Amino acid sequence: MSAYLISMGTYIGFFMILALALNLQWGITGMVNFGVAGFYALGAYASGLLTTKLGVPVGLAIPAACLVGMLVGGCVALLSMRLREDFLAIVTLGVGEVIRLIVLNEDRITEGPRGLRIEAQPFRDFVSAENYPLFYLFFVAVFVCLTFFVCERIRKSPMGRTLRAIREDDVVAGVLGKNVLRHRIQIFAVGTFFMGLAGALYAHYTQNISPEVFLPMVAMFIWMSVIVGGAGNNRGILIGAGAVMVFLEGTRFIGDFVDILDAEKMSALRIIMIGLLLIVTLRIRPRGLLPETKFQFKPN
Amino acid sequence: MSLQLLVNALVNAALIAPPAMAFSLLFGILRFPNFAIGAYITVGAFAAYSLNVSLGLPLVVASGGAMIITAVVVWLTHVVVFRPMQDQSPVTLLVVSIAAAFIIENVIRLFYSADVRGFNIPLERPWKFMDARITREQVEIIIFSGLIAVGLHFLLAHTRIGRAMRAVADNPMLAAIRGVNATWITAFTTALCGLLFGLTGVFAGLDLVIEPLVGWNLTIPIFAAAILGGIGSPYGAMVGAILVGLAEEATFLIIPSTYKVGVGFAIIAVLLLVRPQGLFGTLEIKK
Repeated sequence: MSAYLISMGTYIGFFMILALALNLQWGITGMVNFGVAGFYALGAYASGLLTTKLGVPVGLAIPAACLVGMLVGGCVALLSMRLREDFLAIVTLGVGEVIRLIVLNEDRITEGPRGLRIEAQPFRDFVSAENYPLFYLFFVAVFVCLTFFVCERIRKSPMGRTLRAIREDDVVAGVLGKNVLRHRIQIFAVGTFFMGLAGALYAHYTQNISPEVFLPMVAMFIWMSVIVGGAGNNRGILIGAGAVMVFLEGTRFIGDFVDILDAEKMSALRIIMIGLLLIVTLRIRPRGLLPETKFQFKPN
Repeated sequence: MSLQLLVNALVNAALIAPPAMAFSLLFGILRFPNFAIGAYITVGAFAAYSLNVSLGLPLVVASGGAMIITAVVVWLTHVVVFRPMQDQSPVTLLVVSIAAAFIIENVIRLFYSADVRGFNIPLERPWKFMDARITREQVEIIIFSGLIAVGLHFLLAHTRIGRAMRAVADNPMLAAIRGVNATWITAFTTALCGLLFGLTGVFAGLDLVIEPLVGWNLTIPIFAAAILGGIGSPYGAMVGAILVGLAEEATFLIIPSTYKVGVGFAIIAVLLLVRPQGLFGTLEIKK
């Protein structure tokens, strides 16, 4: 049971990093990214392949995975030059799917559907086997805190103000002399940097990654985390990611009490619950559980 | 060989043209890309399956029933989920539509397992025409799809309600000032699109298989067709469907079929970058 909770906590950590990254892109800057699952996969496979195929130490492979995410994200962000937000949604979804298809089909390198086994784990020699899951939970928690700290700094900085201005009206921001395209590319790349980080942490945690984990469904869960938590509010995002993960995993326990449903029906029921969570939350709290505090001018 | 390719492309196009037109109409009125269309198609397929196989009705009657059931589901989803949220941004609504699709598809999974099913119709040998094979059902799909296109054109161009639908899509406020009842027009449009999604479900059941993900797998080609033709333009969607059908079949010659999903996305991406308004759409003036 406690092993289960530790593992669930670790997964909540991955979700939190992904959701914070998406919040930078969409919640603060208004850039749509439905390819979250693809960037997650990119980080996981970058780190996994570097350690298994090239023998790069984990300490270098994880930052490298972040950089790969950042570079690819920067290129994708160039598309925002010409695309309306709902169209960018479809194109980024396509980018995510194409990344997954490449991983699935180029199995000479990625092992495809068989799954890639990864031996390397960070600080493996310093921690005993039975304590390692707990250690990894703290390891991930440190990265969640770092990500949260960076996201909060960006949000409160002058750059954060510019980003919110771009979100509200990019023409006005441009007229005021802000370089809209440069800001968009920068923040998108920072977001995908963290998505790559989440992927790498996930890869070295499960030690076995396969393309079926990175279905567009994952992107939807992250989006729901951001919308349920409250787009634009980093604290809300942490709550949203936790809530979605608890709904997703916690509903497994219902199966222990209810015998009439088989595994197939239980998994259907869990996804129904997640859908309901989003719709009901939005009906009751249209701006999410913890809405973004609107900046108000207070004269002295 | 090449004739067979054209036949396949035509069947593909006939399958995705009606829902692409319906998606375009819905987008025009509701102003967000509705990802639940795949779930609506699945509802149509399973409703027809239940009426046809479980209740033993002839397929024509079952299809009519499935279309009505789907229309009710589409309208109910609109009233219960989307209408109370119309102040949200299009992207939030897009995510909500995916959540709605999750719910609908998994309710179907709860009642029917993920098994692959088919309608209760006699198997027939496909017709041979020169070197190409085509089944009777595929011919019917092509004929019905063509009839629907003509019918929709007549509705939009020559009837009072068609004019009102275009007016609401073009400028809701102006339409309201001129006395068009937007609530009624929206209800009519959602129900009409529901009928088309229901029929597509039946077609998909005839040409593909009936399983909970049948609609989801059609979603991206439908989007590609609608965007290619210019979103909000039903005629464009028709041409878009033919081009997507051709492109999907033609790419089998060049790249492995495992990348089929990627083709739809690639068409969308390239087209949006070169011509964001689509082939037949007009550029929207921002604000």
